[in-house]
Amino acid sequence: MVMNLDRRHFLGLAGAGAGAAALAACGGPSTGGTTPASEAAEIDFSGVKPAASIDFWTNHPGKSQDVEKSIIAKFHAKFPDIKVNLVTAGANYEEIAQKFQTSQAAKEALPGVVVLSDVWWFRYFSNGNIIPLDGLVKQLDIKVDDFQKSLVADYQYDDKQWALPYGRSTPLFYYNKDHFKAAGLPDRAPKTWQEFAEWAPKLKASSGAQYAYIYPALAGYAGWTLQNNLWGWGGSWSNEWTINCDSAESVEALQWAQDSIYKDGWAGVSSKEAADDFAAGITSSTISSTGSLLGVLKSAKFNVGVGFLPGGPKVESGVCPTGGAGLGIPSGVSKEVQLAAGTFLKFMTEPENTAEFSAATGYMPTRTSADMTSVLAKTPQIKTAMDQLAATRVQDNARVFLPGADQEMAKAAAKILTQQGDVKATMTALKSTLEGIYTKDVKPKLKS
Amino acid sequence: MTRQLTDRPPAVAEAGPALRRRARWSGRTRRDFFVFLALALPNLVLIGVFTYLPLLNNVYYSTLDWTLGSASATVVGLDNYVTFFTSADAAKVLGTTAVFTLVTVGGSMVLGLLIALALNSKVRGTTFARSAVFAPYVLSGVGVGLVWLFIFDPGYGVLAWVLRGLGQQSPQWINDPQLSLVMVIIVYVWKNLGYCAVVYLAGLQSLPQDVMEAASLDGANGFRRFLSMSVPLLSPTTFFLLITTMLSSLQAFDLIRIMTPLGNGTSTLIYEAYLQAFGAYNRAGYSAAISVVLFAILLIITVLQLRFVERKVHYS
Repeated sequence: MVMNLDRRHFLGLAGAGAGAAALAACGGPSTGGTTPASEAAEIDFSGVKPAASIDFWTNHPGKSQDVEKSIIAKFHAKFPDIKVNLVTAGANYEEIAQKFQTSQAAKEALPGVVVLSDVWWFRYFSNGNIIPLDGLVKQLDIKVDDFQKSLVADYQYDDKQWALPYGRSTPLFYYNKDHFKAAGLPDRAPKTWQEFAEWAPKLKASSGAQYAYIYPALAGYAGWTLQNNLWGWGGSWSNEWTINCDSAESVEALQWAQDSIYKDGWAGVSSKEAADDFAAGITSSTISSTGSLLGVLKSAKFNVGVGFLPGGPKVESGVCPTGGAGLGIPSGVSKEVQLAAGTFLKFMTEPENTAEFSAATGYMPTRTSADMTSVLAKTPQIKTAMDQLAATRVQDNARVFLPGADQEMAKAAAKILTQQGDVKATMTALKSTLEGIYTKDVKPKLKS
Repeated sequence: MTRQLTDRPPAVAEAGPALRRRARWSGRTRRDFFVFLALALPNLVLIGVFTYLPLLNNVYYSTLDWTLGSASATVVGLDNYVTFFTSADAAKVLGTTAVFTLVTVGGSMVLGLLIALALNSKVRGTTFARSAVFAPYVLSGVGVGLVWLFIFDPGYGVLAWVLRGLGQQSPQWINDPQLSLVMVIIVYVWKNLGYCAVVYLAGLQSLPQDVMEAASLDGANGFRRFLSMSVPLLSPTTFFLLITTMLSSLQAFDLIRIMTPLGNGTSTLIYEAYLQAFGAYNRAGYSAAISVVLFAILLIITVLQLRFVERKVHYS
């Protein structure tokens, strides 16, 4: 009976323990029924007293930690009975989602307000993790009509409002004005990619930069920025729920992108952050989020120009996707916390606060009544992002509603743009993968 | 064995098995057992609660179709295992795991042994060299990953700068899936070879010098002494390192997470389990099944090593 814990046993136990240590130990689900989506019934907050303290989970989009602190300080001055704890819940949208979903599984430590990106809010909704804001909109008199229509509509489903826009962005075309001038090019973004293809050899020859254009890092949001190329060529990732990323138009668009790297030799692919590569002078132009604008203006040692995204051979305008993040309220917290969270959410998105947030980051003001005069006087480039909003298009369902689709799109883009993989075969394989995700993970949860 | 029989009282030696068992539980043995329980039980409880209970939970989760973040799930039996083994990803993930493990284990051990041989020589500066070689092992994987990412960055990394000086373009270490795996392997070996070097060094320093000197007097040169004497005598050390480095390679996570967050080309079993549950797909049940596969592989490897490899080991 006395255990002889010799070396053999020790190594055996080490093997078993090692495997076990790799496994998750979070709270489990019930197996009683089907997964409910978020309850769409309006929540009545009458008679509810707001909680004294709530957590605000954010990844500080656009390096916004300081401005978030500033707005929270103003909130505390106006609502001294509600304390907001600013929590850095991740370095990006994926990390914050990871923390939020793990807390859902553990059924504890949920925040009052959470930052949710364009690709995550629908999953929170379909898992029943967030509440519809309509009850709070009524109770707190939130002026939903004053929000930019296309931005607020992104979070509407089943006739309910599931989040409100916060750090909302579009991609922008960034260019090095000095390089453009040295190459004898006009001081503007190209109208189409074909026009840029004519400019690129001149740019590369005269600038001394490694690339005339650098594609955004694939590990980031390749599915987002490549929407522009697909739409410009008349293609898409999907049409409603039909995956058509292997269409002739989509293949042609990505073949052109591959040729710009391997055949024409004027483009490259960013490894980490295209905006940083651009600011470092490695490339004469790139596409990056409006949320990178202030950072680029601060770090670049040259004149920075911004413009609308170029069109393609089939579609010249309206080829820019919206993106960025909104704010939502979890369903797994008390009504008191939800009411306090709603009060804070309303304050964060007030016109003067969205203007302050925009001034500090470059993200678009989400309210139509936001006074941007002083902001635009200081950073006129933000106007380009605001103007481009009228030419934006809602992203394809495949990119924003299919779990993991963004990662699969990035892998396909990596194969095409960094391994010179066959475009048609890669996109056909991607189509099959995306259809599998839709059939298994999304279709059963959609309302018929 | 002989000593036990002669020490045992004649009455006990002649009694039946039941009496002999009772005799074994008496006196000092019983006291020893309670001391063992008092010392080990708290740890056993902790290991049970924090290691083996999650393991059992995980096996249960692997039988569910469960979306992470969802409050409910459906029991699907072995479907997650069938899905994994019939998917195209299985071969890719298992292949990546095999390549990563074999190259990192082999690389760390071979380079570690060579460094240990160099450090075992009596020259100046070996103390500093030992510290320098071991230092990466105790550094944070996150910090190491970030620094090496800067070195490998094809745009403005140090390596790209050196290559440009030689008139060469930097390879796409980060975007190209195959090169990503090479990059992560290089960094992993660099970080962990210090551990192998130090363990091998301890082994080299405990080799019986009289035997080595006798071999030398018999005319064996340095290489022959290393091959015929040192390598066999180091086999317990090699065996220990083989098991521990293999277990740690199969669980390598931090460097892969930091250097290749998408796991494109670097998705080993443990990273695939992470990506499936937490990365973007939210397939908690499927991820649990992959974890169980990893657990089974670890267990099989350990048992095989203990049963077959250990036979080749010379303990004295």
